[in-house]
Amino acid sequence: MSITRRDFIKLSAAGTIALGISPTIFSPKFANAAEKKLKILQWSHFVPRYDKEWFDNFAKKWGETNGVEVTVDHINLLEIGARTSAEISAGEGHDLIEWFAPPAQFEPSVVDMTDINQEAQKKFGKQHPLCTKSSYNPNTKKYYGFCHGWVIDPGCYRKSLWEKVKKPQGPETWNDLITYGGKIKKDLGVQLGIGLSQELDSNMASRTLLWSFDSSVQDENENVVLNNPKTIEAVAYMAKLYKEAMTPEVFSWVPVSNNQALIAGKASYILNSISAYRSAQKEVPEIAKDVFFVPALNGPRGTKWACEHLVYNYIIPSYSKQSDLAKQFLLSFMENYDQAIYYSELYNSPAFFDAPIQAGNRGYTPVPNAKTIRDLNNAWFDDDPFRLKDEEKGKLSVLKTAEQWSTNVGHPGPANPAIGEVFSTFVLPNMLAQAARGMDPKQAVSEAEALAKAIFKKWRNKGLIGGSK
Amino acid sequence: MLRQDIKRMLTKNWMDNKKLLSAIMITPAILYILIMVGLPLILAIFYSFSDATTGSSDFKFIGLQNFRDILEDPIFRKSLMNTFIFTFSSQIIVLILSNILAMVLAANYRGKWIVRFLILLPWTAPISLGTIGWLWMLDSIFSPFDWILRYMGLLGTQNALLGNMSNMYWLGEPVYAMASVILVHIWRILPLSTVILMAGLSSIPHDLMEAASIDGAGFFRTFFKIKIPLLIPIMSISLLFGFVFTFTDMTVVYVLTRGGPIHSTQVLSSWAFLKGIEAGDLAHGAAIALFLLPLLACVVILILKLARRTEVT
Repeated sequence: MSITRRDFIKLSAAGTIALGISPTIFSPKFANAAEKKLKILQWSHFVPRYDKEWFDNFAKKWGETNGVEVTVDHINLLEIGARTSAEISAGEGHDLIEWFAPPAQFEPSVVDMTDINQEAQKKFGKQHPLCTKSSYNPNTKKYYGFCHGWVIDPGCYRKSLWEKVKKPQGPETWNDLITYGGKIKKDLGVQLGIGLSQELDSNMASRTLLWSFDSSVQDENENVVLNNPKTIEAVAYMAKLYKEAMTPEVFSWVPVSNNQALIAGKASYILNSISAYRSAQKEVPEIAKDVFFVPALNGPRGTKWACEHLVYNYIIPSYSKQSDLAKQFLLSFMENYDQAIYYSELYNSPAFFDAPIQAGNRGYTPVPNAKTIRDLNNAWFDDDPFRLKDEEKGKLSVLKTAEQWSTNVGHPGPANPAIGEVFSTFVLPNMLAQAARGMDPKQAVSEAEALAKAIFKKWRNKGLIGGSK
Repeated sequence: MLRQDIKRMLTKNWMDNKKLLSAIMITPAILYILIMVGLPLILAIFYSFSDATTGSSDFKFIGLQNFRDILEDPIFRKSLMNTFIFTFSSQIIVLILSNILAMVLAANYRGKWIVRFLILLPWTAPISLGTIGWLWMLDSIFSPFDWILRYMGLLGTQNALLGNMSNMYWLGEPVYAMASVILVHIWRILPLSTVILMAGLSSIPHDLMEAASIDGAGFFRTFFKIKIPLLIPIMSISLLFGFVFTFTDMTVVYVLTRGGPIHSTQVLSSWAFLKGIEAGDLAHGAAIALFLLPLLACVVILILKLARRTEVT
């Protein structure tokens, strides 16, 4: 069969028109856009069973009960920022977006969630302060997000190594890392793994160090206070720690480095959530049995803080026409947070510790006398339901106090867009890394301060943060 | 005259009208370029003169303030320098290697097609996937290169040539990190340049080469006096692609180092992404991204002019 140019053009034109109108003909749903639909976007949980076995099913069942078609899309954690920006810029997309950090920069384009935050506090009790500080802007008096939980960032150490240097209970102070960590490296050839790189975990670790040395990027009123003798002391400490107990691998640290180093037996101590330990349980049980935990380390004056590893925040973009449905979903989600903790294998910690536990079959072995989420959380930390068969009991017990020594990224002030940009451009890990590579700590701090001040000035001009310097 | 043309167009069947048809045929391509290239570029130019952020669709124009800010930013200056190092060093090496490779691949020998296939593979694989493979190979603890070096006794013993440490920390040491980023980029871009030069080599008339051979010209004389001059126009195209592609690409840097350690591999495109998208400062991100636009435009014009002047007709 031969085809002429004329036939080809006619066919192409007809095909294009048919393609253009086909969705309205063949898909009645396309024409009927008024149905109740809720679209959720969230990052793929580090514990796959949280998404697969629980959250997706929970969302689906909630939709069936409430006559709502719920769609849940999961993407990589690192893509959340770009995706949120794209959807907000386009003015359409998901109704609920889950963030892993305080999304303060999106405040002008999201729904004020004061009502649901107040309602949740009425129903479930006081919210943990780090969650409030990660979702509320005290300057505009607006809740730009709803924080449902966070992740603990304790110290994980290899007991067998620390036993050999006569410190079996692991480090208690930052100085112990130099004394004993340095000895482990020198005598046993195993280094410490605290990232000094341009990535997430290094960002958390640098804040944890700074706060434990009684310093911070900003004060409670959002003024930059980074350049002070205590920061210089912390930076000089890190330079010494690097020299005594670490290797250049910390400059190329990535989020999975913790897991890899621990599992490979190449780290005596890491600062990470329990995910590295959970990975070891599955992949190298012998190593997992040797992994133990310590709370935040004491600084030179006894102060101890740890940065949350992640903070879960849902936002509702202003373009969403389903904000009421989204809020309704979130309240129901909070009522079932015991399951969120269980299916995340204790990775998630709750924003509302005093929330009551629902009656009935909850999908896990009931815990006697547990009435609130705190009871349940503590009982599980004492007797980990995911413990290996012949593994020591109570290894996670130290995490019971985590709500006292964990805080938010902007500590002692709130999270805000300036703190977010200081975080995203790796000002603090680079400050520490500069000193570790030989720069004078005073100069490293001074350079970091200049970067932070320029960032704060810019966001202050937009009226989203307080303070004056 | 025009009226007559229109009348003729209307009276004649439109499908037989070559002018009209060519306009219809070219329209989708023009629309594509306008919508997918022109519009974002104009938007980026607008943003670079504004105070836009990713968190809000409202913005106001602030003139050249963003450009003044980025020029004062030490990380921007470092990224600018890195961009030039990254681009020029990778392009010089690509130019040399692609010439050698093109000649090897143009020669006749058994298994030539397999060799061609293997060399072209890096270009066909998705760049992010290939770079993740390199990320694993350059890992600070598990690098197979380190394993080979240790096995050969060049690393990890007291008197080893490369030092007594157990690893090279390819992505942890600033100089090695930059070298790694450049080498991976070369691995990625070399096939395209090679293919372009192979096409150029095959277009050189055989009688010219035969005449040179009869006149007793050796390999180097033939290469420098005949092949290189004839290849200059096509080499310019290859170089043009390479320059623009390297100046504007961030994938290799982003996947391997995210610009680290301490911004030592940060290039303008990756810094624009970190600042504009991840940190939410769209305006500064746009200013960083567009900073080299005038320079790149000049480079493109210059190379195209050079190619035209040296064109053999």
